[in-house]
Amino acid sequence: MPANGPGALAGERRTISRRVNGKRLTRMTGFIPKHKKLLSFLFLFSLLFWLVTVQVKNGRFTFMEKPVLAISGFFERIITGSFNAVVSVGNGYAFLVSTHQENQRLKEEVERLRLENAVMSEILLENERLRDALNFKRLHPPASVMAQVIGKESSPSSSTVTINKGSDAGIEKGMAVITSAGVVGKVHAVLPGTSKIMLLTDPGSTLAVRVLRNREEGLLEGKLESCAIKYSSYYADIQEGDLLVTSGFDGIYPKGLSVATVVRVTKHEARAFQTVVAEPAVRFSRLEEVLVLTK
Amino acid sequence: MKPRVYVFIFLLLIPFQASLLNPLSLAGIKPDLALAMLYIIGLLTSPGEAALAGIGIGLLQDIGSASLIGLTGITRGLVGLSAGLLGRRVLDIGSPSNSIFLAVFSLLEGICISLIMQVLYGSVPFFSLLAERILPQALYTGLLGFLFLQFMGGRDISAMLRRRTVQKEL
Repeated sequence: MPANGPGALAGERRTISRRVNGKRLTRMTGFIPKHKKLLSFLFLFSLLFWLVTVQVKNGRFTFMEKPVLAISGFFERIITGSFNAVVSVGNGYAFLVSTHQENQRLKEEVERLRLENAVMSEILLENERLRDALNFKRLHPPASVMAQVIGKESSPSSSTVTINKGSDAGIEKGMAVITSAGVVGKVHAVLPGTSKIMLLTDPGSTLAVRVLRNREEGLLEGKLESCAIKYSSYYADIQEGDLLVTSGFDGIYPKGLSVATVVRVTKHEARAFQTVVAEPAVRFSRLEEVLVLTK
Repeated sequence: MKPRVYVFIFLLLIPFQASLLNPLSLAGIKPDLALAMLYIIGLLTSPGEAALAGIGIGLLQDIGSASLIGLTGITRGLVGLSAGLLGRRVLDIGSPSNSIFLAVFSLLEGICISLIMQVLYGSVPFFSLLAERILPQALYTGLLGFLFLQFMGGRDISAMLRRRTVQKEL
């Protein structure tokens, strides 16, 4: 059957030809050629949606991650370095005025901390003696690398930061990242000189925790702005204000580190699980330096 | 837009968003530079080109973060397409109404992402997310976009737009 014959079906590819300035121009009038752009976009969006659903099932792809991290990390280091240099010059002048008082205050604080340290050392020794007596495993402080945060999140659907230390400093994927306030997250991708840290609040983050008050256990997952305990039983004794600490069962974080505080507990009679929302102990908006636990 | 402009945007957008905007952060909320950039691309180009730019920017952001690859690509692609369609009707790049449109795009994208997250991961605290992150960021992005467009409008970008309007009339 000819393409533009009288029996051509609706939606079938048809062509209309005419001569303009001696050249033959052909115009396609079928549904597909007419809406080629729209269909291409529909195909593209469907492909992206399929890609997302596959990742939900099988885990996130790491396609092109290292080149993108290398390029963005390079520019982030330059931008942060330049910005810090300018700020430090300004700060150096501004803080010069209050240096004397600051110095006095710091001296007093050093004295106080020395005293505290001496007391703590005594307690630590006593604790080790008692542990030996009870045949407990000795606690060793984990080795760590101090790093500076040079970039904060670039996607609206995740929570990540970039730090200025990478594989050359002994950092590996999956290592725990903390501050003195508590757990920050874990290393998500590593390159020499740069690492990407997945924060606790990232939807892909999960962490084994326990309630400090009663040792109730749970799995904390990220919810962008906050965290929530996954599959917390209706009968689990968790209250607002409870402090959540790492349980150490996930093999990533040492146990006993401060993680989050429970801010809301919602129970529904018809549901087997309660909703437990927690605020991270670390203020991610003020994050400047972190410790990566390398062992 | 010229290919070299896109290369420049794709190379520097993530580092700029991640590090240069940190001093502008208010209570942890930063304006979304990528979205503002995409809106401007939408105003200056066609819907198709802006949608492709949106998908490209979104994919790059997904790869550069811990997000599911494609998620931001979808939402940014839709934002680009919508901004491109809107751009056919916007003649004044320096108009304050652009900041409202930009804030609305940011708000809708944030809502869209949190709803997708709700479907994918469940129990995302939608209303607290809306009040504490999506809405303030939308307003901040609208403000940044307005300043950005005012800055650009005062330079030769407005001339680019004028050429484009002449083309539209033809």
